[in-house]
Amino acid sequence: MTLSHCLLLATALFSVGIYGLLTRRQVVAILLSVELMANAANLVFVTFSRFKGGAQGQIFALFSLALTVAEVAVGLALVILLYRTHGDTRVDLASEMKS
Amino acid sequence: MSASVGFGFVAACTLLSALFVVRSQQLIRAALWLGVTLLATAALYAMLDASFLAGVQVLLYVGGVSVLMVFGVMMTRRHEGIVVEAETVNVPRGVFAAGAVFGVVAGAIQMTPGLEAPLPTPPVVTIQDLGRGLVIDHVLAFEVVSFLLLIAVIGAIVIARRRDPGEAPIGFMPRRKVPAGSQEVSP
Amino acid sequence: MSHAVTLALVALLTPAFAALFLAATPMIRRQGKPAAAITILGSVVSFGAALMLFLDRLHSEGTERLVVPWIHTGGKIAAEAGVHVDGVSASMLAVVCFVALCVQVFSLGYMHDEPPADFGRYFTYHALFLFSMNTLVIAPNLLQLFVGWELVGVTSYLLIGFYFKKPSAAHAAVKAFWVTKFADMGFLFGLLTLFVASGSFGWTAKLDPEVATAVTLLFFLGVVGKSAQFPLHVWLPDAMEGPTPVSALLHAATMVAAGVFLVVRANPLFEQAPTTRTVMLVLGAGTALFAALLAMVQTDIKKVLAYSTCSQLGYMVAALGAGSVFAGFFHLTTHAFFKALLFLAAGSAIHAVHSNEIGQMGGLAKKMPLTAGAFTIGALALAGVPGLSGFFSKDLVLEAVEGKLGSIPYVMLLATAFLTAFYMGKVVVLAFFGTPRSEHAKHAHEPDWSMKLPLVGLAILSVVTGYFAGPFAHLNGSHYHFHLGLGAMVAIGLGLSGLGMAWAMFNKGPREVAAITAIDGIAKSRAVNRFYEYGFRKVTLVLSDLLAWIDRYVVDGLINLLGYKTIEAGRAMRPLQTGFAPDYVLALVVGVASLAAWAVLR
Repeated sequence: MTLSHCLLLATALFSVGIYGLLTRRQVVAILLSVELMANAANLVFVTFSRFKGGAQGQIFALFSLALTVAEVAVGLALVILLYRTHGDTRVDLASEMKS
Repeated sequence: MSASVGFGFVAACTLLSALFVVRSQQLIRAALWLGVTLLATAALYAMLDASFLAGVQVLLYVGGVSVLMVFGVMMTRRHEGIVVEAETVNVPRGVFAAGAVFGVVAGAIQMTPGLEAPLPTPPVVTIQDLGRGLVIDHVLAFEVVSFLLLIAVIGAIVIARRRDPGEAPIGFMPRRKVPAGSQEVSP
Repeated sequence: MSHAVTLALVALLTPAFAALFLAATPMIRRQGKPAAAITILGSVVSFGAALMLFLDRLHSEGTERLVVPWIHTGGKIAAEAGVHVDGVSASMLAVVCFVALCVQVFSLGYMHDEPPADFGRYFTYHALFLFSMNTLVIAPNLLQLFVGWELVGVTSYLLIGFYFKKPSAAHAAVKAFWVTKFADMGFLFGLLTLFVASGSFGWTAKLDPEVATAVTLLFFLGVVGKSAQFPLHVWLPDAMEGPTPVSALLHAATMVAAGVFLVVRANPLFEQAPTTRTVMLVLGAGTALFAALLAMVQTDIKKVLAYSTCSQLGYMVAALGAGSVFAGFFHLTTHAFFKALLFLAAGSAIHAVHSNEIGQMGGLAKKMPLTAGAFTIGALALAGVPGLSGFFSKDLVLEAVEGKLGSIPYVMLLATAFLTAFYMGKVVVLAFFGTPRSEHAKHAHEPDWSMKLPLVGLAILSVVTGYFAGPFAHLNGSHYHFHLGLGAMVAIGLGLSGLGMAWAMFNKGPREVAAITAIDGIAKSRAVNRFYEYGFRKVTLVLSDLLAWIDRYVVDGLINLLGYKTIEAGRAMRPLQTGFAPDYVLALVVGVASLAAWAVLR
């Protein structure tokens, strides 16, 4: 278990999250992918905290976690709204900015 | 040695369940696989001697966020039973983008020297350190984040609250008159 | 400031103040009579100063100047403004102011019937003209002379077009302005060349022969326009659309003489350019003969006098071309008096008969003896009858031209003298003698004092000026001695026979004369005017149309194309906005990855 291993794992998780972000049609699925990405970032924070010393990394990870939770709350509220408006939660239904 | 094997196993779990999250054909399963991924990450945290964080991860992410996601899925599906809900589209694009990002960052990681070192000396990060960091060193950020949480909760309530029949779905404006044929109106 | 300079400044500035005051006070100006009073008062003062100055110069030698720096360039003073008093400018100033005063007094009666607002406008322009002409006359350098030159051109435009509501008058004013403006370009380029070659606008520079020829030829182009020489004479007959006193002052005595004055002034330069002098001699003599022929066929009394002026200016130009500055200048002086006299007397007749046409006149001598007498004196002076001023000055001119260029110009001028006597005699006989040919002519009567007084004054001067050739010559820097040579005798003979023939032919009234009809036929072709019409006007209009087309379709087209392409580009970019969030995320991801890659690989 080296620093680079952990970082590579986090990168891989992040990339998977990106893949999900781009390929999914349901908004909730996209939110799930976003969760993955945030999680990967948290992992990086904790990794560095462990390998380089200091509490900073974990503290930032805590903050990041809290923020992510808030984001999920609002995001799901929006999903509900979307569902109420269109009866379905496909992401292409929210395309009123289309020129 | 055993640490490495354990690490390898947990890492594989994490990655695999993440893949399932993004490839599952059914939304509810994807949400559940997310829970597994988050749990595995908690295990990783524990292996990285961040026990408090591992606990918080389980509590908040697995117990909170995952559950929220499941609720979200349940509340926003049509009632014809569980069908193929979560198709994937545009796979090549996703692969390309994901690959690009992975390639760049991994390349950067490989190119940086000094990352091959094994685990250093046992950690000295204690709860007291965390507490001190949160409440003394970064108290402003702490307060702001708590404020933000409050706002997020209120916002979520406002956005998602039940509305009266004639009211606009969002905001405080009355419902806009929609001219015929200029906009897709959902049934 | 010396006495002379003070007088010069008074003469210059009094009309300027009058003009400015009247321009600034429409309330007073539009009353009419007060404006006339102010202008005439100014002219009286001006003439008084000019006369005193003239007498002063008779006794003093040398030149007085007062200048102030005017144009600064590159640390040096390029030009000055002010006054320059010497014999030439003092005598010219006196002549100009006197004739202007006579004309203005005459206008009191002649323009009496005009509405007060127009009356006031008329006198304001007169004040402006006197100031402009004086600026020209006492200019210390050629640049200020040019300023005065242009100003009198403007005043001429304003006064020719005085009856601007009449289309022919407005047309004539513009034509005068255009033609003289074209000539003024020559003057301007001459000034520029002079400055580049000599570093100043003065007339005493020593130049290389080619440069002197170039400069003087360019100046002469200005003279050809201003003094209505062939081929730029076309504006002068049309200028008769202006009121008759204006024709007397501007287009006979003073403004058109400014060209001659320029040559007199810049004589040191012209002396260095014999080629230009040859051109002047030829052109002057040619114009004199040409204009005299055209004068023969005119039925409008003012047009006769206009062509006559053109012809006499040709005399002056020829004299200058022959090298005798004094002959040209002296003829200018005598011509100013008797031509103004002729115009004013004609104005009196026109006023009585309510028409310019000689055909409407006849037998006026019985009803208007003073007018008839004045006109006759003027006509005889113009014809060069011995004893009158014109004889002396014409004689000088002929003497100067004799022998030059194989005497061809000399012969032309002699022929012109004959024709001049003939056509003037014709006018005198037809207008003032014989039987009245219209109702108005039958009931004609003399005008009141304001119109009679100037006639008397000018008539006196038309007679006596010839005897003052000596002092005039002295002022001009040369000598005069009178002698009656063979040439003079021939000229006298031609003049008297011309008059006699006219009397004999037209005693009984108008009649057809074969030669005159022939010339008329040619004159009716308006060849020179047509040439300008097609050569310049039509060409300019074609060019203008072409440029307008380019502006509308090429220039505007380019701009419109630019605008259109911008809109097209915008439309082409619209599909980028799909509204589909994952598309935007893709763009974001790719962008970030690229940036990161670049940062890493640097």
